[in-house]
Amino acid sequence: MPLIKNTFHRPASSSPDPAAALTSVSPDERWAAARAAGDDPVNLAALAQVLARESDTRVREAIFTALARIATPESALAVLPYLRSDDANIRTGALDALRAMPEAVKAHLSQALADADADVRLLACDLIRNIRDEDAPRWLCEFLEIEHVANVCAAAVDVLAEIGDVQALPTLWRCAARFPNDPFLAFAIKVAADRLRANAPGSRV
Amino acid sequence: MFTEARRYFVERRVTDRIAETGATSFMNYFARLRSDLDGEVEKFINAFTVNETYFYREDYQLTCLTSDLLNERTRMKRPGEALRIWSIPCSTGEEPYSIAIWLLENWPQVDAHDVEIIGSDIDTNVLKEARTGIFGKRALMRLTPKLIDKYFVGAEPGRWQILDDLRQSVRFTAVNIVERSETRPLGAFDVIFCRNMLIYFDDSSRRVAAENLYENLSPGGYLCLGHTESMSRISPLFEVCRFPDAIVYRRPLEISHG
Ligand SMILES: C[S@@+](CC[C@H](N)C(=O)[O-])C[C@H]1O[C@@H](n2cnc3c(N)ncnc32)[C@H](O)[C@@H]1O
Repeated sequence: MPLIKNTFHRPASSSPDPAAALTSVSPDERWAAARAAGDDPVNLAALAQVLARESDTRVREAIFTALARIATPESALAVLPYLRSDDANIRTGALDALRAMPEAVKAHLSQALADADADVRLLACDLIRNIRDEDAPRWLCEFLEIEHVANVCAAAVDVLAEIGDVQALPTLWRCAARFPNDPFLAFAIKVAADRLRANAPGSRV
Repeated sequence: MFTEARRYFVERRVTDRIAETGATSFMNYFARLRSDLDGEVEKFINAFTVNETYFYREDYQLTCLTSDLLNERTRMKRPGEALRIWSIPCSTGEEPYSIAIWLLENWPQVDAHDVEIIGSDIDTNVLKEARTGIFGKRALMRLTPKLIDKYFVGAEPGRWQILDDLRQSVRFTAVNIVERSETRPLGAFDVIFCRNMLIYFDDSSRRVAAENLYENLSPGGYLCLGHTESMSRISPLFEVCRFPDAIVYRRPLEISHG
């Protein structure tokens, strides 16, 4: 039989100092350093600093993961600016990293929802989807009352349909009334309202 | 580590452990767990990992393994270099043993290459069972009587034990997929099967698992996930490869910069 027998063998492993190796010229070393750095929140500042310069996709991914593992409001803050990146891959990477630390993101939500950049507000709505907080539907409702870009409203409506309840209905109707000429938003609101009503306790759907 | 959807399940298992240990309250149980009284940490882990599995599960991937993946991998090997296959999580062993049987049955080159198969799981109870290799009807339901005859011996009524020779062809080790210190020593594999586990993880654990899997693959090595799982939604580290029988993921051959 050519299958190798199950005798034990185990190569030795080594663990270099992560913070120093984060700036190595070798992407492999930076990758290993970023991965190890996620074990300890003291590496937060070093990770945040190298994230700005990192050009290797794979290493950047490991830095995002390390920051997501640290999962403090500070590590979320280090990732948030990358939601503004011109590079779609970096934006997606940042969004995924933030999704992986929902509790840490909470502290920054109100600021992200008030951001001057509509894209950032839209992504912030999406982040609420993963946040388990009984107040989350209320944040979205308050946001919907004042948001002036229809697309961003549609994103908020979409998340609200998932995490909200019938108490959100008046907000939805007011939002629809503010954008009478936007058929897409009107449709999104109708779908959301139907869903919220269908999920209401005592509903017969 | 578990998502909200698994919460009920986790709660049930914790309640079971509380009852089993005779703890008087959750806090009382938690104190036992923290002090690892009577090895409770291990029992606790074992209680809430889902182990359901069977031989030749999702066998289209095994077809893909022998029609495409291994041929691709052997082309990159130096003569005499072993092919390495990792089954994580392997649960009670059905998956790694299936791989061994499948190779012997369906890969004409099996005699020309050394193949090393390792099965790993976080749950030491299932690993014990895997090493013993005794299975019931349910686990064997997808195997033909001919295959059962060929690779098993009757152990007791309704139970079959996998042949010694095959048992010795799979090495079982305890590994937590999110612990890099546990995954790294296993070295680089040509093909990893990581099926029906990542779905239970939260986003952060999934990312760590993906990075560990990446490190445990040789460049160009393949990763097979369960059919409901998609690496594209977890991590951009891998390439998607569409073969006639299955979609699998691959660690890129060259490192892309930027
Ligand atoms: C449903 S089985 C999957 C078995 C086999 N791969 C299959 O698809 O049939 C899931 C296994 O994952 C294991 N598991 C859960 N968390 C793990 C972890 N962090 N590391 C390694 N194994 C884990 C459980 O112990 C369980 O045996």
